Amino acid sequence: MVKMSKVIYIDENKDTYKFDLEEDTIIYHYSINKSYDVEVNLNKEDITLNYYYNNINYDDNTYKIRINHNKSNTNSFVYNHGVNVSDNKLHYWVDGVIPKKSENCDCNQDNQIINIKNGKSKIWPNLLVDNYDVNANHSAYIGKFKESLLFYLMSRGISRKDSYKLLLEGFLLNTDSVDREKIKDFVDEINKI
Amino acid sequence: MLKITNLSTRVVDSDINILDKFNLEIGDGEIHAIMGPNGTGKSTLAKTIMGNYQYEVVKGKINFDNNDLLKLSVDERAKLGIFLSMQDPTVIDGVSNSEFIRTAINSINGEKTNLYQFIKDMESNMKDLKLDSKMTHRSLNKDFSGGEKKKNEILQLKMIKPKFIILDELDSGLDVDSLKIVSKNINNYLKDNPKTSVLIITHYPRILEYIKPDFVHVLVDGNIKKTGDIKLAHDIEKNGYEIVDGKDE
Ligand SMILES: Nc1ncnc2c1ncn2[C@@H]1O[C@H](COP(=O)(O)OP(=O)(O)OP(=O)(O)O)[C@@H](O)[C@H]1O
Ligand SMILES: [Mg+2]
Repeated sequence: MVKMSKVIYIDENKDTYKFDLEEDTIIYHYSINKSYDVEVNLNKEDITLNYYYNNINYDDNTYKIRINHNKSNTNSFVYNHGVNVSDNKLHYWVDGVIPKKSENCDCNQDNQIINIKNGKSKIWPNLLVDNYDVNANHSAYIGKFKESLLFYLMSRGISRKDSYKLLLEGFLLNTDSVDREKIKDFVDEINKI
Repeated sequence: MLKITNLSTRVVDSDINILDKFNLEIGDGEIHAIMGPNGTGKSTLAKTIMGNYQYEVVKGKINFDNNDLLKLSVDERAKLGIFLSMQDPTVIDGVSNSEFIRTAINSINGEKTNLYQFIKDMESNMKDLKLDSKMTHRSLNKDFSGGEKKKNEILQLKMIKPKFIILDELDSGLDVDSLKIVSKNINNYLKDNPKTSVLIITHYPRILEYIKPDFVHVLVDGNIKKTGDIKLAHDIEKNGYEIVDGKDE
């Protein structure tokens, strides 16, 4: 049986967020040019968090997120995708915390920042793991879209500009499950990049 | 249709030379096959025709339907009707297969295709290729099996309708039955579009039993050392490339 997850869209205009979760949860966090400090506590056994953070950045900004696996058998999948449009700083601090008492946790981070120009982007992925029985993965990529992707799209007749747009949308929406109506401003902003 | 004259290429920003005074002419409706040992430049040839950024043309010309291909961007070449089915199709996360193919068709036709017609065409082509309809909405080539990737290349071919087709090792990754199905799809396409030309790059004569070539060339050390018919392909399968090494045409 497929378990239904609770769905949260972050659409208030706050700088800090704290979530204390006791059920499977999907959080959609689509943001334009802002800094954030986010803390998520996984407070019940066997729950799973999917966190989609996608941002379009123009000025100097820092995004911090910390996932605390406070109970055993908790799982987190955090996807942080940013497009840094100008030459400014975009910094990601991504912490996954698994204390000794939490057994058998699964903690995953996918961090990627695409620089459109010569943005000064940095990612600090931290897995603070005190328990041996854990599955922890993190990946980090900072750079441009790979030329091989553009070649494939263009080889089917799509112009460089439209290929770029397809890649940007795919990268920044990041999941089919998001309701585009709820992130309309963000979708509009993609077209302005 | 396609005329390549004295083409020499190298890997951009390196001294790795690959094609060396390569010549090939392919007429309307002709099917050519190229065989050759690993690393002799077959994929390089395919990608250079398509305009891949990794290769620099040092010398020579490529003419396609009276266009100087080397002056054109990759998408402009595709718009002239050139299609490369890649040896190793690229994975693009986040871009769905159907969105990609629809954008490609719109770009090539210069107008928005009717959505209903598009869905119908996708469905019937996927059925012909025995490709699961779930592939429509998945990220392009992501977690596709080797065979599914190859079938998906041919799905694109059928949707985009090119007039010059390069098949770079289509047969690798396809099981016996899938190769038959995919070949049949290509043959049907060629029957409907008899002026279409094909360049088949392969290591094995099996695919050439299905899609029958007019010419078989052997590429060694950057250019064609021998040309024949399907018998040459069988000869190579039996005796290896010893039979052509060092020989001129
Ligand atoms: N981008 C590149 N950088 C460095 N070397 C390259 C590059 N592309 C091709 N080469 C080299 O050029 C040669 C030709 O490569 P190519 O892929 O064209 O071979 P191929 O004939 O298609 O081989 P195979 O039958 O194994 O597919 C090889 O030695 C390869 O290593
Ligand atoms: Mg090859």
